[in-house]
Amino acid sequence: MATQRVLPQSKETLLQNYNKRLKDDIRSILDNFTEIIKTAKIEDETQVSRATQGEQDHYEMHVRAANIVRAGESLMKLVSDLKQFLILNDFPSVNDAISLQNQQLRSLQEECDKKLTSLRDEIAIDLYELEEEYYSSSQWDSTDLPLCEAYRRRDSWASPGTSCSSAHGDREDMDEPPSQETNAQHHLNGHGTASIEKP
Amino acid sequence: MANERLRALEDVEKEIAMILQCAGNIVLELSKDKHNASFLDRQLVQFQSSVNRVESELSGQIRYLTQVATGQPHEGSTYSARKDCQMALNRAEYAKVKLGELGRTCEIMLDQQT
Repeated sequence: MATQRVLPQSKETLLQNYNKRLKDDIRSILDNFTEIIKTAKIEDETQVSRATQGEQDHYEMHVRAANIVRAGESLMKLVSDLKQFLILNDFPSVNDAISLQNQQLRSLQEECDKKLTSLRDEIAIDLYELEEEYYSSSQWDSTDLPLCEAYRRRDSWASPGTSCSSAHGDREDMDEPPSQETNAQHHLNGHGTASIEKP
Repeated sequence: MANERLRALEDVEKEIAMILQCAGNIVLELSKDKHNASFLDRQLVQFQSSVNRVESELSGQIRYLTQVATGQPHEGSTYSARKDCQMALNRAEYAKVKLGELGRTCEIMLDQQT
């Protein structure tokens, strides 16, 4: 048996109002429909003429039918209000929806990261072979920059506002003789730089 | 769970439309010279069952809300998980871009050799 909850006055009033509207609308539909059916009964003796009685019955049925439709519309509005109240205040289902969404997003993130990690491992192997090919190819000169340095400079030239880095790059170009030894080392050990950069 | 309750309320809306339709069919049938008694009975049973179902379902929902509602706003969110997922997708997109560049560079090198 659920204990009596102490709701704020507004919420309790609102729910009581919903109950009242429900009861009133259902009663309105049933009463008006019953009266229409009663009015449809043909009576032989009437106090007024048949035409007048017919007109009166016709008008009454119109009004009662309109009341039934109004009560139906009011019930639809009540259902809409209940849906809104449910979405905002049904905490168990909101909590479930949030935890389900979090779970789905986290699983997507983990899957993405797992695939990126496996991709990294595969690419590392291929990059090793590419660098072997590059440093042992006839196109590569011992005075050329190492592959990582060439990519770094290309990235810095490609991005604007990095004039400082490009200036640094120019200064490094002037320091050719000392770097030739390191370049020779890289030529002998073609993947030396890459091995430094590999995690 | 929330979807079930909302779907139940949508079914209630259909039942309300059914109530009005049954009432209209009954009055229409009564307006004819010769009534089809079985049709009238069926429509009347349908009308009564729909009214009872609507009343019981909506009362149940209001009773549930009376037990569950606290009056406080809900402060949960999925923002952090969504942000982490977005960052993971950004990482994947960045890796894709870099791999594309690497592929194009390799193609250029191969074209130069041939």
